Amino acid sequence: MTKFLSSYEGLVSATVLGELRQLGNRLAGKRVVHVNSTREGGGVAEILDWMIPLMQDVGLKAQWEVITGNSDFYAVTKKFHNGLQGFPVTISKREWQTYQEVNEENAVRLRPILEEADFVVIHDPQPAALLGLCPSRKGKWIWRGHIDISRPTRSVWRGLRPFVAGYEASIFSMCQFAQPLPHPQFLIPPSIDPLSPKNMDLNPEELTRVRHQYNLDPDKPLLVQVSRFDRFKDPLGVLEAYRLVRKVQPVQLVLAGGGATDDPEGQEVLDEVLEAAAGDPDIHVLLLPSDAHRTINALQRLADIVIQKSTREGFGLTVTEGLWKGKPVIGGDTGGIRLQVVNYHTGFLVNSPEGAAHRIRFLLHHEALRAKMGGRAREYVREHFLLTRHLREYLTLFHILGSREDASVIYI
Amino acid sequence: MGDFIIQDCSLLAKTSGLAAAINLRELRDRIAVCSQDVLYHHFCETPLVPSFDNPDYRNDFAAWSLLQLGDRVLAEQLGIINPYIFPDLEKLREQVLEILDERLSEVFIVPSCQPGGEFFFTEAVTVVFDTGKRISSPKALPEAIGTMTNGSIYYHFFEARRREPVGVDDFSAWLDGFPGQEPWSRALQAVDFVFFTLPELRGELVRVLGKGGVA
Repeated sequence: MTKFLSSYEGLVSATVLGELRQLGNRLAGKRVVHVNSTREGGGVAEILDWMIPLMQDVGLKAQWEVITGNSDFYAVTKKFHNGLQGFPVTISKREWQTYQEVNEENAVRLRPILEEADFVVIHDPQPAALLGLCPSRKGKWIWRGHIDISRPTRSVWRGLRPFVAGYEASIFSMCQFAQPLPHPQFLIPPSIDPLSPKNMDLNPEELTRVRHQYNLDPDKPLLVQVSRFDRFKDPLGVLEAYRLVRKVQPVQLVLAGGGATDDPEGQEVLDEVLEAAAGDPDIHVLLLPSDAHRTINALQRLADIVIQKSTREGFGLTVTEGLWKGKPVIGGDTGGIRLQVVNYHTGFLVNSPEGAAHRIRFLLHHEALRAKMGGRAREYVREHFLLTRHLREYLTLFHILGSREDASVIYI
Repeated sequence: MGDFIIQDCSLLAKTSGLAAAINLRELRDRIAVCSQDVLYHHFCETPLVPSFDNPDYRNDFAAWSLLQLGDRVLAEQLGIINPYIFPDLEKLREQVLEILDERLSEVFIVPSCQPGGEFFFTEAVTVVFDTGKRISSPKALPEAIGTMTNGSIYYHFFEARRREPVGVDDFSAWLDGFPGQEPWSRALQAVDFVFFTLPELRGELVRVLGKGGVA
């Protein structure tokens, strides 16, 4: 869908939009290529879905390319994902070879585009090897790590580091995630699009329809966690927290998630969740299609409390989404959730199912505080985590990398 | 006096390469060797960095001492530092180290943070660009300030103090070039800006200049 900056008038100030146009004007005509591994599902695809048209709207020639791979490749890159987030995994020589081979196949198709680009942004480990496969590249290459690699399994990072070290710069969501690398590491938290189907305002009829569709009881408080069925999102921990709350008051829980095409473990985790939830009519486990954005939006708006009890998290866009909808969020005390959830201001950080249960009960008992925190949460996102701030930082980065100066203040 | 050229800026944070500090001694040792850009970032660039406002303290070292080390005394001592009164950043560093050394000599156990509460040393690159807008007379200054972005306010009121004339904001420096504008220049310099957010500061500057009206 085509997007224009002017659509955001009213959501952010005209001066903010003017600032973006000024930064964009000075980069007009520059070719920017983003590369990731999936067109649908997961936060990266959602970000690129709005970032490409908005970069085009401010004057850049931006495009989005997706690498393709077989199931063996995605199994390896899922191991990367788990290993980089600290889960112990071993990657065999054959698996490293598969990684390299699939990147080589993609390089044949993408090389002409990538080598001509002024800026190439490679997202996450899956396409990271493309750099070494484009020897005649002209532009600046940036590796964008979206996941929490603060405490990676050393063997995985040791294997991956040579693929990443050659980039001109890397981007992490938080300084905690950065690793020693021989180039500048910039810090850019991600953001949400307030006009996307997942975040736009919905009318009450649509909320009622979704409530009926999933048999949600309008008289029982609703807890909602939206995320892929992934161990690091700790859906079983959420179930445990729900059961602790349920002992003392009626409550219902929605665990909603879609599958991402680059996540082969999803079904296994979903099966475990379904087994643990079996027989309880107040637990709703929903496997939603990747385009069910409005449904997710409605579920978050119907929630009394949004939960994101991750044990590891790159940033947690579902937290941002919940906050934007004026809901306090109970989030795992990890990664980017810490940037967004501030105790007593926008929600609560928790470290265990017991902690989550305690804060759920606290918030359910304090309705006025819940509303106040929800109001603060929305304004906090407006100021810090909307796409306009995100776009400005990317444009700023392109200016920095395009500058011949190596100074802390650059005049353009 | 020439036109006032309205600039804007965008700041991008980056890692400094220094290891994170987990206790007061490590904080002290890293501050002793960090670049001036790191020191400047944690003291002066905080209004432009996304974070939940800590209304008590506006520099990162004071906030960390309170929130992660639980050292209220140190937080108070660091929190009161006004980085803009020092002639240069090395003098600011000396003052900070003096406070940290004093505190280290007082405590029996070096305060440490919990896992996950480390202090990460960062710095920023600022990209400055001409907005194309100009102010030709002091009379037009309040209205122009009222429509400036946070980036412009930061650049002309905070970042200006690093440039010649050092320690002075751009608005005051420009007004000083016009006869009879000294009271307004002095009024701007008297604004206690430490506890203002950038939007609040914008409002305050307009209010100060609007009092009686610049000539």
